[in-house]
Amino acid sequence: MIAFLAVLALANCGKAPQPPTASQPATPTPTPTQAAEPAGDADKNLNIFCWSEYIPQAIVDAFTKETGIKVSVETYASNEEMLAKLFAGGGTYDLIQPSEYVIEGLIKENMLTPIDRQAIPNMKNIAPEFTSMSFDPGNKYSIPYMAGTVGIVVNTELVQDDIKTYNDVFQEKFRKNIVVLDDAREIVSWGFESMGIPINEVSDENLEKVRPVLEKWLPLVKVFDSDSPKTALLNGDVALGVVWAGEGAILLNEDKKFKWVVPAEGAHLFVDSLAIPKSAKHVKNAELFINFILRPDISAKVSEAFPYLNPNVAARELLTPAQRNNPASFPTADQLANMQTFKDIGEQATKIDELVTSLKAQ
Amino acid sequence: MAAGATATSLQTGAAFRRRPGFPAWLVLTPLLVWLILFVIVPTVVLIVLSLGEQKGLGTIHFTFTLKNYARAFDWTWLKVLLISVNYALLTTIICTIVGYPAAYFIGRSSERMRNILLTLVMIPFWTSFLIRTYAWITILSKEGLLNAFLVSAKIIPDPIGILYTPFASVLGLVYNYLPFMILPIYTSVERLDNALIEAAYDLGAGPLRAFSQVIIPLTQPGIVAGALLVFIPSIAMFAITNLMGGGDPPTIGDVIHKQFTSGRNQPFGAALGCLLLLIFFFSLWVTRRQRAE
Repeated sequence: MIAFLAVLALANCGKAPQPPTASQPATPTPTPTQAAEPAGDADKNLNIFCWSEYIPQAIVDAFTKETGIKVSVETYASNEEMLAKLFAGGGTYDLIQPSEYVIEGLIKENMLTPIDRQAIPNMKNIAPEFTSMSFDPGNKYSIPYMAGTVGIVVNTELVQDDIKTYNDVFQEKFRKNIVVLDDAREIVSWGFESMGIPINEVSDENLEKVRPVLEKWLPLVKVFDSDSPKTALLNGDVALGVVWAGEGAILLNEDKKFKWVVPAEGAHLFVDSLAIPKSAKHVKNAELFINFILRPDISAKVSEAFPYLNPNVAARELLTPAQRNNPASFPTADQLANMQTFKDIGEQATKIDELVTSLKAQ
Repeated sequence: MAAGATATSLQTGAAFRRRPGFPAWLVLTPLLVWLILFVIVPTVVLIVLSLGEQKGLGTIHFTFTLKNYARAFDWTWLKVLLISVNYALLTTIICTIVGYPAAYFIGRSSERMRNILLTLVMIPFWTSFLIRTYAWITILSKEGLLNAFLVSAKIIPDPIGILYTPFASVLGLVYNYLPFMILPIYTSVERLDNALIEAAYDLGAGPLRAFSQVIIPLTQPGIVAGALLVFIPSIAMFAITNLMGGGDPPTIGDVIHKQFTSGRNQPFGAALGCLLLLIFFFSLWVTRRQRAE
């Protein structure tokens, strides 16, 4: 019954959460560094809506300490969950953290505020390959936060083969020995890559072409898990996985028996950025936060907690050699050149979901 | 829970019918407000949403189309629904077989013993359901406690895969919903009139006959209430089947959840939700009829 109510509640979600503590006096206790900071909004509040497990609480606290701006953080587990709330409620979020294809869609629907680049001097720390990407030329609306890839993790104690490609993973001999992300678009893009189809050409014909491949692959999978695919690998329940690089990096740190493989066919590169919705009420505070999080020392702390591909070059220099050389966190330039980012595919997302669900239930 | 309450009123005599006065309505107001806000309104929202279409990133157009329902009757989704109903039925049957003797034993023990046993049944609720499910993961995984024990006791040569199988899914469901079966049956057993059982023996019934023809019918309201309380939530449950079953095969709760997130089709998710609602009403209606007989 609880689960059922939760489903109902989902339909009704997105009701505006409590307004940002209006009862709070407008002037918080001044901190020593406050005068030196560029001025934010008069109202010292900031509402962040970000991925869960992505911005360490310590960094939020440090920002509050430095600027006196009270931050409330709400989290989401998928881009679409964020979109649903943004479309339903609107006015309460000052900073969101969408992935590249969502930024593209949000710009198209005119839902983002242009970012005042004068307020973000730390933008200079971002590696050139992550600036002005195709989804937001000139970074008018978004500033890169973290990037990452999807790749293969091999438990070398259980698998002696040299795994190089998606096809090497999805073999009959590894039946029920594989964990993959529970994400229809990801799964379809692996199929596309193995066939040499660009991952954004999600036409009906291409989906028909990839169907027989996935029909063969999906029954071999034991676990579908996007939230913590590392669990099944750590517990020895599966020997192979196609997982987020951040999860892969953690596994590599955990045990030497795990090996990270960037699929030879290429892989999906995701770039999560910070953006300010049109409905934001504290635009200046949001810009202050963006600039703060791009500071090398702060960005390095994020990398420490969540070992994704940090686009912040100045921060990379502060990392330990072990962190910097983690192949899951930082792919080589050649590997990076072979990666594609997702584009907004609109309503084809529904068809992808139907294809993968029908093959999972076959 | 409501089913348990009606079962009680049926036995104590439902002949008392009177229009509720003003004070009664006053007392009922919080409940009515709760029902309207959290049951009626969401259901209406769900139904209206199921008649819409989702465009672009997430805007919903209320076009009052029936195409979401037409799509819901595709074999892809019916199959998923069937898988979930199967899981739920299996869970209900196992819960009844395991729960009945336990409930009977508790109901027939001395008062002191009964309180201890009831507390033991409830103890799992003291911790979060997610934590309990994660605990099962550490028990059942290949490098988990159970496999370690079985291997060191030389019962099996190599660890076997127990986690991430349909077996693990059903185990998780039974574990979580068993108390919902035990408690209503226990209430029925506790109220069992000993005189009737003695009468059955006096009239020459053996233990088997007394059980099947006297005890079972007398405790049937508890069994029916328990079955409903187990069956309905287990259809839509997706956290357990995802965490312990590895999300394979997909269940209807998981599929609906995905429509609201990555599938980007809230109206279709709502239509599937409405179909589930119909199944719930149907199972309520069936048990109602059974009770009326």
